[in-house]
Amino acid sequence: MFKKVLIANRGEIAVRIIRTCRELAISVVAVYSEADAKRLHVRLADEAVCLGPAQSSQSYLNVDAIITAAKLTGAEAVHPGYGFLAENADFARALLSAGLTFIGPSPDAIEIMGSKTSARRAAIDAGVPIVPGTVEPLASFSETKATAHNFGYPVMLKASAGGGGKGMRLVRSDEELLSAFETAQAEAASAFGDSSLYLEKAVERPRHIEIQVFADSHGNVVHLGERECSIQRRHQKVVEECPSPINEPNLRQQMGQAAVKVAKAVNYLGAGTVEFLVADATREFYFLEMNTRLQVEHPVTELVTGFDLVREQFRVASGQVLSFTQDDIRWNGHAIECRVYAEDPSNNFFPSPGTITHLREPSGPGIRLDSGVDLNSEVSIHYDPMIAKLAVWGKTREDAIDRLRRALDEYDVSGITTTLPFFREIVRDGEFQRGQLDTGFIERFNSRRASAPPAVPAIEERHMAVIAAALAYHQRQQQATQGSSPVTNRWKLSGRNAALNARQNLTHETSSKWRKS
Amino acid sequence: MEEELKLRAFLDNSDLGVIIEDLEGELRVTVDGHSYTPQVQRIDDNSYLLTNDNRVYDCRVECKSRERYEVKLNHHAYEISIVDPRRLRTDENSDRHHDGPTEITAQMPGKVVRVLVDRGVAVEKGAGIVVVEAMKMQNEMKTPRAGTVLSLNVSPGDTVNAGEVLATVGDVK
Repeated sequence: MFKKVLIANRGEIAVRIIRTCRELAISVVAVYSEADAKRLHVRLADEAVCLGPAQSSQSYLNVDAIITAAKLTGAEAVHPGYGFLAENADFARALLSAGLTFIGPSPDAIEIMGSKTSARRAAIDAGVPIVPGTVEPLASFSETKATAHNFGYPVMLKASAGGGGKGMRLVRSDEELLSAFETAQAEAASAFGDSSLYLEKAVERPRHIEIQVFADSHGNVVHLGERECSIQRRHQKVVEECPSPINEPNLRQQMGQAAVKVAKAVNYLGAGTVEFLVADATREFYFLEMNTRLQVEHPVTELVTGFDLVREQFRVASGQVLSFTQDDIRWNGHAIECRVYAEDPSNNFFPSPGTITHLREPSGPGIRLDSGVDLNSEVSIHYDPMIAKLAVWGKTREDAIDRLRRALDEYDVSGITTTLPFFREIVRDGEFQRGQLDTGFIERFNSRRASAPPAVPAIEERHMAVIAAALAYHQRQQQATQGSSPVTNRWKLSGRNAALNARQNLTHETSSKWRKS
Repeated sequence: MEEELKLRAFLDNSDLGVIIEDLEGELRVTVDGHSYTPQVQRIDDNSYLLTNDNRVYDCRVECKSRERYEVKLNHHAYEISIVDPRRLRTDENSDRHHDGPTEITAQMPGKVVRVLVDRGVAVEKGAGIVVVEAMKMQNEMKTPRAGTVLSLNVSPGDTVNAGEVLATVGDVK
């Protein structure tokens, strides 16, 4: 096992990796940008090296600075976390040629899966289904019709030059095909100056379900079941769960075997995730892509399988055998994770940077919080606005939802706006509770939310809020008349209070001394 | 000794009368005619724990300005303005004696009726700067110090929120 590892990341994932390093008695080297000098991951490390200015390009993406830091501190291996350089084949190669171990797969595997075309080719070669589609533009309507018959309805017509839904048509039958073909062509021509179209089999109400795979250097490749990540906004996952609410052992086995085939096709090493689209009604699944790193949402798999994926990453990267076989893996209970972002859900998820002035984190039975911030942390504009991941475990999905609701209500953050209010509503939503998930969930949820009457708190609650404000006003007035200069902010106010208290204590002491003498 | 404090609170377009009475240690607060005798614990500068008829209200109070407060209670954020009507009739800025520029602020939400000075003019201490109508009363906002009108942020007809800076008076550098 390694003695010293450099973690080329920041925030919650750096903290997460440090925790496993501590359990394995691996010495920790943190790296940081000038903006992150006071962050949690730096304070928890044994050694810390500043990489450069706040901009990622000059710090967390600075390959030379990271290699220099590893050499300087004598680290043997580099854990990239996720994001930044985690899926950068050149970075992995640079580490290898510097004599350092990259905790992840080979640069070749990263490269193959990094390109959509080569990844799809690898899947096809491994016998794993992809969404059927034409590669060349459709030459004529008769060709289009023949291809549609070949795929089976429903199909999707898409502009070759496309994007943004322009020139896109869902077609359910032969009767609809001609008019859809003509309008899509016209739309594509006016939007992109190119009327060529291609055809894809339509996946209706697609679920986004991914399979966690793990491989060691001794030929063992296993899967750890699925994670359902259908709740997405702007193609970014916000709620993930394990298992999927579908929870069918057969489907899990089929998808798991397909994922293992994909991993084997690229001689995979370490933790990886194979993403699929699953048609909600038919349960047909299609390969989307493979992420060649530890995923953000790995905690739900850890909670349900009981394995520490980061620990296994260190094991296999140091040449050891995986600590479990496929037969050892059991799925126990249900886990759900929410990604807590410093974003304003009532203002189109706009980033909300700032300083955390109050923080109460949930804990107690079945709660796991992976946080990268603490009280007084500044959430800066430079990096991803995710501040923490709240994951819960319950014996059943229903228990997990009850627990998640409780934990979200317990969670209290002030100073920045977070997505917590949004999750508090999702967890109370009927469709979510019934597990009716697909990638259109958030859109439907938002329209339900827009038409729902706003919750009106009881009159007593409103009045208690008014009383608290009136008391705070009164307190301030009294302090203002006692003090000499006007109070401008809370920090000065608390400083003033401390000074006043000290003065009062002093007077009290001197007077009692005087009485004694 | 009995103490009584009468305030007005503005919350979501409603204007609520608030009376705080200290009845020999027991606090009685009347809000909009509803009387409460809550137990009050001050947890820290920004937290008040109120217990009313054994019901717990854990309030976080964020002070935005002297008059404006955001109270978070059960994950609901209440934007509340507090005004002391007594202060409106007196020179509201009388407790500010410092030498720097002074901000003349609106005491409660209202409408600007008249602007009595121009930017850049010299004013005496106590001179009227802006007249704001609120709750059917016209209030002349006066400067607590002599100096020059450095900024004038409102015009007649403007609506202003409690705490909004109407003008600043200070020395020309």
